[in-house]
Amino acid sequence: MGVIDLDGVEVRLANRTVLDNLTGELRGQAIGLLGPNGAGKSTLINTLLGFHLPSKGTARVFGLDAHKDRAQIRGSIGYMPENDSFIGNMSGVRFVRYMAELSGLPSRIALERAHEALFYVGLGEVRYRKVNTYSLGMKQLVKLAQALAHGPKLLILDEPTNGLDPVARQRMIQLIKDIRQEGSIRLLISSHLLRDIDETCDEVLILKNGRIASLCNIEEERRSNRSFMELETVGATERFSVSIRGLGCECAIFPGGRIKLVIPDNIEARDLYVIAAEQGVQIRRLNQRRDSLEDIFLRAMDNDQGVTQQGRTANGRL
Amino acid sequence: MAVYKRNYTAYTGAVTAVWTRVLVLARYAFDEAWSSKITVGLFIFCLLPCIASLVVIYLANNPIAKALVGARGQELAMDAKFFLKVLATQSWLALVLASWIAPRMITFDLADNALPILLSHPISRFGYVFGKFIALFSSLSLVTWIPCLLLFVYQGYPSPQPWAMSNLQIAFGLLVGSVIWIAFVSILGLALSSWVKWRVVATGVIVAAVFVPAGVGGIVSAVLRTKWGLLLNVPVMMSNLWQRLLGAPAPFDDRFSVPTLAVALMLSLACLVCVGMLNKRIRAREVVRG
Repeated sequence: MGVIDLDGVEVRLANRTVLDNLTGELRGQAIGLLGPNGAGKSTLINTLLGFHLPSKGTARVFGLDAHKDRAQIRGSIGYMPENDSFIGNMSGVRFVRYMAELSGLPSRIALERAHEALFYVGLGEVRYRKVNTYSLGMKQLVKLAQALAHGPKLLILDEPTNGLDPVARQRMIQLIKDIRQEGSIRLLISSHLLRDIDETCDEVLILKNGRIASLCNIEEERRSNRSFMELETVGATERFSVSIRGLGCECAIFPGGRIKLVIPDNIEARDLYVIAAEQGVQIRRLNQRRDSLEDIFLRAMDNDQGVTQQGRTANGRL
Repeated sequence: MAVYKRNYTAYTGAVTAVWTRVLVLARYAFDEAWSSKITVGLFIFCLLPCIASLVVIYLANNPIAKALVGARGQELAMDAKFFLKVLATQSWLALVLASWIAPRMITFDLADNALPILLSHPISRFGYVFGKFIALFSSLSLVTWIPCLLLFVYQGYPSPQPWAMSNLQIAFGLLVGSVIWIAFVSILGLALSSWVKWRVVATGVIVAAVFVPAGVGGIVSAVLRTKWGLLLNVPVMMSNLWQRLLGAPAPFDDRFSVPTLAVALMLSLACLVCVGMLNKRIRAREVVRG
């Protein structure tokens, strides 16, 4: 059983199909939900929370129907919405306690957990201040604290770094990494910032125009894709390039001794150094990079047809 | 776990029953309403007529005290008419209190877009409104049927026993008349508060929603030469209803009398409109930018 199972989910809002035939199984510890604005990320989250009834298909969270069993699902979910969403007239600790009590924690325990959650996210010193006096970064953190306080099994973060400055963003990313590392919570992180997903997630669902453009395990996808290398050499570059082609590398030579390589999985930089030493070629600079999430995302965006097919081949799970 | 330990730990303890979450909402709404000094001031103001009624009942049942205040010759009848006045006074004061409290309960949530977070917890939209309704209803109970029934009990205590038994309809009327009124005012207050973002404006709108249609109804009655325009006149409708529930003599002549069934239907219709307004407004709606 996956964390989230989508079976032909279609959601129509105001006579417009916002989510179209989403099918897939999300199993990762931290699942990234990527897509350009209007791709349907927030609608998918709202569907998982039971706010929208799918016009076709079913969405399941931990095996429970997202609409029929929404009360049960909401009890085990922590949700941090994208936009400002809080009760500004309450102090931070009272707000978090209120939300924890709504999730079912007894009053006294809710208060204790509210203090802990606020300290955990770094708002311990300002927890008695009213929420509407908080800065934007603090408001994001108090939303995270309320989502964490009741100890959810799944934490849904909708654009958690929205509007944060670089320092606050880094702090938020670190918190998400810590939560992921702790291991008791699965994460679903929606963002249009590739870097956020790249740093925090192990699985990614990419949406485009309400359809699945790609669903893949980021690490597996990177491994299955090619590795690039750039060299700056001095010496007999031509002869060197012929030798490394013999290893199975694809290779292009540029003026000034620059060589670009696509190397197979079984070849390492060390092999290139060995050949260079044998041929008296100096390797002055070596840059190696794997397929980035950006490459995966751009490929998914380019692939209009689709979509689910790519996910199917990438993971064999769809 | 001590608060200085900043590691996250999952919660593994017991959770409360789902139905009690409505009471959590009610409790926080009640706290929010009563955290204002103006609410406390209004509450005290609402109880002043009850204190005056208490004194009147005391005088009516104590000839010595009556003589001392120089009211020996005056007849102070403790009957349905007296309690109708008490009920009407308390009910209109309850409207004032509701118009102040209801916006405090709901506009804070709406102004800061708290509904997506609130409704992402195991609480339904009905549960949310019902929780607020309980808080408002119980607040208004403190100035309507509870003091009214206490006055009835106080009157029954010094009177010869047959008084209470022979006037049970008054107690019934006080309870039912108050409950109908505060239920109507509560749902009206919540519905209008959910549509008006500013609390002060919402207060005015709630009061206006009761009295402005009365003026419209008056115009309708005058133009069409009918009395059915009274069905837009909440004060007249409620006076008719209270009078019949308490078994008191009619306060108006026949021109201002409307059938009880018509009153019940109009109140039900108004409540349905309010439910529709709440249904439209109380949603976990996310504004997606871009």
